[in-house]
Amino acid sequence: MTRISAIPGLPPLIAAAALLALWELAAHTFDISGLPPAHVALREVPVILSDPEALLNILASIRRMLIGFALALSFAIPVGLMMGRARLVAAFFNPLLMIIYPVPKAALMPIIMLWLGVGDASKTLVIFLGVSLPVIYHSYQGARAVEEKMLWSAAAMGMNARARLLRVVFPAALPEIMVGIRTGLVLALITMVTSEMIARKQGVGDILFNALAMAQYETVYATIVIIGLLGFAIDVGFEWLRPRLVGWADPVHEIAVVGST
Amino acid sequence: MISIERLSKTFETARGTSHLALSDISLDVAEGEFVSILGPSGCGKSTLLYIVGGFVNPTSGAVRVKGAAVTGPGPDRGPVFQEFALFPWKTVLGNVMYGLLEQGAPKKIAEDRARALIEMVHLKGYENFYPKELSGGMKQRVAIARTLAYGPSILLMDEPFGALDAHTRTGMQHELLEIWERDRKTVLFVTHSVEEAVFLSDRVVVLTRSPGRIKQIIDIDLARPRRRAALLVDRRYQEYVVEIEKLMDEQVVIPPPKGEGAERSEAGGVSS
Repeated sequence: MTRISAIPGLPPLIAAAALLALWELAAHTFDISGLPPAHVALREVPVILSDPEALLNILASIRRMLIGFALALSFAIPVGLMMGRARLVAAFFNPLLMIIYPVPKAALMPIIMLWLGVGDASKTLVIFLGVSLPVIYHSYQGARAVEEKMLWSAAAMGMNARARLLRVVFPAALPEIMVGIRTGLVLALITMVTSEMIARKQGVGDILFNALAMAQYETVYATIVIIGLLGFAIDVGFEWLRPRLVGWADPVHEIAVVGST
Repeated sequence: MISIERLSKTFETARGTSHLALSDISLDVAEGEFVSILGPSGCGKSTLLYIVGGFVNPTSGAVRVKGAAVTGPGPDRGPVFQEFALFPWKTVLGNVMYGLLEQGAPKKIAEDRARALIEMVHLKGYENFYPKELSGGMKQRVAIARTLAYGPSILLMDEPFGALDAHTRTGMQHELLEIWERDRKTVLFVTHSVEEAVFLSDRVVVLTRSPGRIKQIIDIDLARPRRRAALLVDRRYQEYVVEIEKLMDEQVVIPPPKGEGAERSEAGGVSS
């Protein structure tokens, strides 16, 4: 007989089913309006997803997240790599990062709103900040750990410093950068929702808090489920991409995802 | 071919003191010559090689290659490191082709040459493997092929077989000699194994313990091509090994913790 845990994909399904059963049971036991039964909340999921306005809100959220995420990568990876290879650059950015890293990005939202208003710019900036820091940190660590002899080998082949950074340091640091990106993706999702919580104009966070204000608890729970599914989809996409990008590397020690929001 | 002139190297240590690693090294290496640099660990023999490679700057003195002063790394001097230093994101073929493509060779030509070299180092069939899938000996074969690919006239080998087990090591020594016999590149070979140095070299340069100075240069007058099995019972080979072992033995003097260790370790060895 095959052990149940040996079937791929089955254990998480069992865990999800158990969680739903527990939810259902708790809802019936306590019977309060703030905790609707699972089946009632889940029924709301397709309702939200087929509502054009809600869908537009969700897509606007995803769009902001993608833009903030892409901007963060194109900024954070070069900065991190240069920090790792040039002591001067590291000396300049390191104290700055040490101050900004532990500050919850959502706490910066009110100030940013004063500058940029409640629109896309503020929210994208917060997402950008949230994603940038772990990606800078891991790019920095990755670039620092690049074997000197590898760079010397490249130099003997005639590669100049710029070419080495681009075509030796970057690929050599990529497995570590991917660890930062993984953390960054989680933070992107978190900052996306929290920024919309604070600057209530549109988006998934807005749907959630509107529903809460109007005591539509099924919608609240259904929205949380949708956010969870979105996070799950991002993770599946990332795990699909990872072996294609860094399958050549020995597995990097997985660092626990720490949310600083 | 290589002319090392009054080379010295001082490192600044983390404690703020300065450490003299190499002192007044002068050495000429002829074209096609196989020269080993032998010395106890920490004598600066690798540093000497890095300076010739242009990876490290000397504190004083100069290195000339074919009359031109060395100011940085260049494709005329190909390094092979103990750590292999392969590009892990490239396959065996990708690694061996890399330098050629970097030198502007067309892809087709680079690939043909790379495949021939991979065959020469007995790795045919492994072209599409990644470095992490290879054993230490195989990795070093790839590293040697990668360096040979872009055609350096000088090979700088930094304890290339130091990370390999004894059996693989002797096999690799034979292979290296076979490769070397074909086109007789100039080789500067750093090692701490006396037998390895005698087996491979035309000349063995023995350095003193820190700071590294040239203690003695021994010509190895053994016929080529050399076979290990034959040499092991060769009286002259044995004498070379014993002679150099003695030179190395005399240096077992623990250097003072810091500052001027120069005079002390010099006095420890019998001047030649």
